[in-house]
Amino acid sequence: MNGVYDLGMAGEPRAQVGALGREALAYADTLYNLARYLTRSPTDAEDLVQETYARALSAAHQFTPGTNLKAWLFRILRNTFLSQYRHERHNPTVGGLDTVAPAAASAEPAQWLLGDVELDRLRKVVGEEIERALASLSEEARTVILLDLEGLTEVEVAQVVGCAVGTVKSRLARARAALREKLRDYAR
Amino acid sequence: MTCDEARALLLDAQRGRLPAEEREALRGHVAGCDACTHEEAADTLLSEALEHRLPSHAAPLALKRRLAAAWPAEPPAASVDEPARSRGWNWRRLLVPALAMAVLVLAALPLYYPGSDRGQVMVTEAVNDHLRLLSSQHPLDIESGGMHQVKPWFEGRLDFAPVVRFLGDDDFPLRGGAIGYYLDRKAAVFVFHRRLHAITLLVFQADGLPWSRRGLETIGAVRAQVTASRGFNAIVWREGELGYALVSDVDMPELRQLVGRLAPTS
Repeated sequence: MNGVYDLGMAGEPRAQVGALGREALAYADTLYNLARYLTRSPTDAEDLVQETYARALSAAHQFTPGTNLKAWLFRILRNTFLSQYRHERHNPTVGGLDTVAPAAASAEPAQWLLGDVELDRLRKVVGEEIERALASLSEEARTVILLDLEGLTEVEVAQVVGCAVGTVKSRLARARAALREKLRDYAR
Repeated sequence: MTCDEARALLLDAQRGRLPAEEREALRGHVAGCDACTHEEAADTLLSEALEHRLPSHAAPLALKRRLAAAWPAEPPAASVDEPARSRGWNWRRLLVPALAMAVLVLAALPLYYPGSDRGQVMVTEAVNDHLRLLSSQHPLDIESGGMHQVKPWFEGRLDFAPVVRFLGDDDFPLRGGAIGYYLDRKAAVFVFHRRLHAITLLVFQADGLPWSRRGLETIGAVRAQVTASRGFNAIVWREGELGYALVSDVDMPELRQLVGRLAPTS
C-alpha cells in the first residue's frame, strides 16, 4: 500500500496515537456511510471500516496533527477498498467514470433538460431512488459525489482519490450529470 | 461567457467558491439564458436531494465498540525523568530546576486543559448513551416501581451486579432501567428524573477503561470527573470494580446532589 498514507508526515510521538484515535473514532459514521455506498453491503462496509482503522492505527505516527484527519481516513478507506475489491473494476457495470465520453457532459442539453419534467422529478425524488441511482454509478462517480457531499474541497478530494484537481472537477461534473440522468430514467 | 463555461461554474457557485467578478458574470449569463437557468435549477435541486434525502448510514454500535476497543487508549503522559541530553559542563546544575519546572508545568496543565485528558472519551460515550436513550421510542426495558423492583430485573442479564445505593425520592424519582452498552461492555442503565429532565446513570465494570487522573473533584467519598460536553453535564467516577457515569442537562449543582446520594458517604 505504498503511497496510501502520505497525506501525513512521520515523526509524531506515540503518545499522540491515543488522542488521534479518539478523534478518528468520531468519523466512524462518516466512514461507514462512504463504505456502505462503495461496497453496497452492510457486512462488507463493516469489514472495510474495521480494516481502515487498523491501517490508520498502524500508520498513525505518519499523520501530521493539524492536517485534515477526515481526508486522511477517507484516503485510507478508499485505497483499502480498491485493493480489496479490485476485481469489481473489471465489472463493466461499475467501470471507470473516465470512460464516459467527455462530449456527453458538455454537449448541448437534450430536449428533456429544457422541460420542467426533470425539475418536478428532482423535487419529488425519494431517498430510496437517489440511493439506487447512486449505487448504479461507477465507483469513481460515487466516490467523488459522496466526498463532495461530505464537504471536502476539490483539493482534498484530489488527495483522497489521488488525481489532479482539474480531474476532480470534471469527474464530479460528469458524475452529477450521470446521476441526474439515472433519476430521469426513474421518471419514465 | 458561453453556456459550457457557465455550466462548468454552477457547482462552484453553489459551493461559494467563485470570486465576486466571476459570480457576477455567471449570474448575468444565467439571467439571459433559459437553458442555463434550467441547468442551475436542476443542479440546485440535485444538491438538495443529495443533502436532505439520500439515506445516511450510521455505523452500527457493535462496530463502534470494536473500533474503540481496538484503538489503544492514550498512553500515560511522558515521564519527566527523561535523561538530559546536554553535554555541557553545567548540566547537573540545570537538571534540577528543569525538572522542577517540568513538574510545575505538568501539574498546571489540567487547570488549562481540564477536558483534554484521557477521561474525555468516557464522557463522550456517556453523553452518546444518554442521547440514544432520549431518542429511543422505548428507552426503558423496565418501568420503575422503585429500585427494589428495578435492580433485581438486571439479574441474569449482566455479568456483574450493579450497586446503586439511592432508591429514588421526590427530588429524583427513578423512572426505570434498561440494558445498555458503554464503550466495549454491557452497562446497567438507570433513568432518574429531575422535574421534566431525564438523568441517565450508567453502571459498568470499571477495569480497562481510560479513567481520568486529572482535575478530579471530591463528592462524598468518591473522586469524580466533573465536566460538560455538548451542552450536557456529566459526572464520571469509579468505586472499586464498578464505574458510574451520570449525564443530564440539569444544572451541575443538581447533578452533584444526585451523586451525593448515589456515592458512599465518607
